[in-house]
Amino acid sequence: MKNTAGRNSAQWVLLVAVFIIATCGLIYELVAGTLASYLLGDSVTQFSIIIGVYLFSMGIGSYLSRFFNDDLLEWFIRIELLVGLVGGFSAILLFLVFPLAFSFQPVLYALVGVTGILVGIEIPLLLRILKDKVEFAELVSRVFTYDYIGALLASLIFPLIFVPYLGLIRTSLFFGLLNVGVGLYLCRYFAGEVRSVTAIRFSGILILIAEVAAFIFSEQIMSFSETLAYNDHVVYSTSTPYQRIVITKNKHDLRLYLNNNLQFSSADEYRYHEALVHPAMTAAAGPRNVLILGGGDGLAAREILKYPSVQKVQLVDLDPVMTKLFTTQDILAEINRHSLKDPRVTVTNADAFIWLKENKKQFDCVIIDFPDPSGFSVGKLYTTAFYRLLKTAMTPQAVAVVQSTSPYVAPKSFWCVNETLKASGFQTIPYHNYVPSFGEWGYVMARQSGGYQLPDTFAIEKKYISQAVMEQMLQFPADMLAHEPLEVNKLNNQALVNYFEKEWGKYLDQ
Amino acid sequence: MRRDEFIRLTAGMAVAAPLLHACSEKRNGSTVIPGEIVGASAAAGHLLRDHSFNPPAEYETREVVIIGAGVSGLSAARYLSQQGIKDLIVLDLEQQPGGNAASGRNAFSRYPWGAHYVPVPNNNLTEYLSFLEEAKVITGYDQAGLPVYDEFYLCHDPEERLYINGHWQEGLIPNFGLNAAELAEFKKFFSLIDHFKKLKGSDGLDAFSIPVDTSSRDESLRALDRVTMKAWLDSQHLTSEYIRWYIDYCTRDDFGTPYDVVSAWAGIHYFASRKGKAANAAYNDVLTWEQGNGFLIEALRQNLDGKIATGALATSVNATADGVKVSYLDVASRQLRGLKARHCILAVPQFVAARLLGDTERGKAVTDHFRYVPWMVANLTVGDLHERGGQPASWDNVIYGSASLGYVDATHQQVQQRKERRNLTYYLPLTHTSPEVARREAFRAGHAFWAEKVLADLQRVHPDIRERTERIDIMLWGHAMVQPRPGMVTGEVRKALSKSVGAAIHFAHTDLAGVSIFEEGFYQGIKAARKLLEQT
Repeated sequence: MKNTAGRNSAQWVLLVAVFIIATCGLIYELVAGTLASYLLGDSVTQFSIIIGVYLFSMGIGSYLSRFFNDDLLEWFIRIELLVGLVGGFSAILLFLVFPLAFSFQPVLYALVGVTGILVGIEIPLLLRILKDKVEFAELVSRVFTYDYIGALLASLIFPLIFVPYLGLIRTSLFFGLLNVGVGLYLCRYFAGEVRSVTAIRFSGILILIAEVAAFIFSEQIMSFSETLAYNDHVVYSTSTPYQRIVITKNKHDLRLYLNNNLQFSSADEYRYHEALVHPAMTAAAGPRNVLILGGGDGLAAREILKYPSVQKVQLVDLDPVMTKLFTTQDILAEINRHSLKDPRVTVTNADAFIWLKENKKQFDCVIIDFPDPSGFSVGKLYTTAFYRLLKTAMTPQAVAVVQSTSPYVAPKSFWCVNETLKASGFQTIPYHNYVPSFGEWGYVMARQSGGYQLPDTFAIEKKYISQAVMEQMLQFPADMLAHEPLEVNKLNNQALVNYFEKEWGKYLDQ
Repeated sequence: MRRDEFIRLTAGMAVAAPLLHACSEKRNGSTVIPGEIVGASAAAGHLLRDHSFNPPAEYETREVVIIGAGVSGLSAARYLSQQGIKDLIVLDLEQQPGGNAASGRNAFSRYPWGAHYVPVPNNNLTEYLSFLEEAKVITGYDQAGLPVYDEFYLCHDPEERLYINGHWQEGLIPNFGLNAAELAEFKKFFSLIDHFKKLKGSDGLDAFSIPVDTSSRDESLRALDRVTMKAWLDSQHLTSEYIRWYIDYCTRDDFGTPYDVVSAWAGIHYFASRKGKAANAAYNDVLTWEQGNGFLIEALRQNLDGKIATGALATSVNATADGVKVSYLDVASRQLRGLKARHCILAVPQFVAARLLGDTERGKAVTDHFRYVPWMVANLTVGDLHERGGQPASWDNVIYGSASLGYVDATHQQVQQRKERRNLTYYLPLTHTSPEVARREAFRAGHAFWAEKVLADLQRVHPDIRERTERIDIMLWGHAMVQPRPGMVTGEVRKALSKSVGAAIHFAHTDLAGVSIFEEGFYQGIKAARKLLEQT
């Protein structure tokens, strides 16, 4: 034993350690609780279960502490490092595990449990380390005072400072570093009383380096977990001023997501694009000039180019990044069979509404493949104002077709598009088909006169469509009807956006 | 929310939050947002007051001179021109015609500097409807004979929102966080309005109609012009904070006059005179354009090319044996010029008219009875703003309890998917003190003062407004509009001042109607033009 002053300062060092351990322990618990309520919802349930598991695990830890009999200080430091390791990486681990849906909860509770046990061991260990150095009543009072002050500090700084400024991943790493730092400091301070100083110090520094690295690369780790979330390998992702483009690939298919909405799967997109394009192209009877609005993936263009009558295809898509990708990237251009490089195809990157306002040309067939009407901006592209403008770009015999969301999930939205086209002076031919990766999908053909006759044949290369299939597509079972009078979608009411939000909102809540 | 969406969202938040904060700290407080006080013509106007100029050496001759190229003046010019009078000239002090319907433009859109919308018109206003046909605002009529409005000009959805009790609610009539009793007051108020809307006076005329002079003269209704809106609300036991705020907002919005100052007749007229029916819109829908009513100004002047002289500050109007002599300052050359005409229409506010005529008695009547409220209007060019919860960004965005009227988004009527920037027009009628004091204060304060006032107000709903605002321009309207205080509408003064002087000088301005709305200006112009034509 050293002199009184030395003993005193050793005592204070250990008490500060308790304080930090208590803070860190509670922070890990809060990280787990926040993550669970973010990811799984129902924050009341998540927080109460996590608090329960954590406290109970501390109890287990306290029980286990009786089995530590020698080298208490050394164990204390080891456990400190272990808490730093487990706690520090907890948020990353949970984010990475989350996409693997079934294992998330077991991993979550295991993590909370392990952290709880380790923290639970530490307090009794510390009491025992200090029991000969401080009077018992004094010792208990001090240790628990620091423990609880640490808890208060944690619960205040976590929501007010750490989550807003660092985010969850870096918060947990920060406290992990703190734990490890305390461990290394104790190791140095009590170098004389600990036997395997070098080994402990070495492992401490390793953890420290790993956590600093993770802290620096937290963003990359996040985007890696994003790739896991897609269940597939993200081969390309970028944010343009207009949207977030993500392309994923696995051994079965390649998928395009715009703003997290699936645009196509290479496995079944032919079903969607054949249904979108061929009924209108066939009804238009030998179309020469074709307009595509949207459809920057070039897949509708691929179908259109199958018609020998086609001389010119004008494609108008908002996003130059999108059309460039599908023109220049081989893996993508193979899917659209290099349609965007075809001499008959002109690609214009412009806002469809503005382009249409300025356009003077007339087309024999118009394919409209816009994103679903999920917001007020895109909702404008489904209004009477837009469709009246569309009419000016159509020859008298021309046929247009509009992708019109799912009549099964959103019947009111689908039939609202139909009503809006009618109110804009079109005859309409609504139809639908099944696309496995989308579900049941709907389209509305529109022309100014002439009605619709089922064609005898679809005289192009195809995998899906035929006269018999078309006949079926025109049939709507009762569960795809609106069953109430619908509003027409106009710029000054945006009725469609309201229908769409309600219907898809309800569907996704299920 | 789906799992993958969530991950991206939280990742985004975690990464972006510290960066955004760092960014805001750097700029907060220390950065001055560029911009200027526009509309320097107030200074030019003071030339008239403070300088004397040599009388014009020679006089050009015109059949008609119209002074003032606001709605009234242009409406008169349009009407006369349609009636075959081609030899006319309209003089205006500003560089751009339009008066209160002035507008500006930048790389992102046009935007209003004043009046920015008109309600769906009442169907009995034949001349107004045919003007709107001319302007292609009305594209046709349905089978019931109701006008079909161009969808691009009807205010797009979402139209209005109110930030109240920490939340953006849809529409401006407070409902979020109100209890049943408070909501019942609104129900009662609107049922009273509904009653007034259908009510006819003892003379068989509509109780409240547009123009105001076509309203019933029933004494029991005119009595409402002897009390303030506040007194009337008291008498109806409509006392909740919410309804009072709402009424006050409305009367400040349309008349620049608080509800405890405005006449109850005018206050009710605001609500009860709008009865327009349309094939594709409701009576409470509005027509609006990027440049606000600047669009209608362009339509009014479309056949007046070469007949509008801007930067032309009239200095005097004198009756002669066979007409009038007008002199005006050509602001660019600082030369006094002269015009002789057979007829003149003074389409200017009455305090200006009195000065031009050199008529002190007239001037006294105006000072004694007319109060003109000053306004501050700001245009902000902004990037993406942080939004509080509730209804998404709308055309009209109002903050409950604010001294301002909130802002309208000039780019709202644009149809493209992505807007690089938005232009927000912020309105503040300066009603916190007397018009005279407010006016003096307004012109004394600099750009920085006004910019700060706007930002401090908008910061409550857009915490990042300071970082996202790239430019703020300020317009100060010294005499934006006349206040319809009790006695204004039914009183004799405006009638007396409306009378033509001799055979040659006629008057047209919304201050002669008592309420400053587009229709009044439009009909003021036509009325003066008709009086003029009677003399030919």
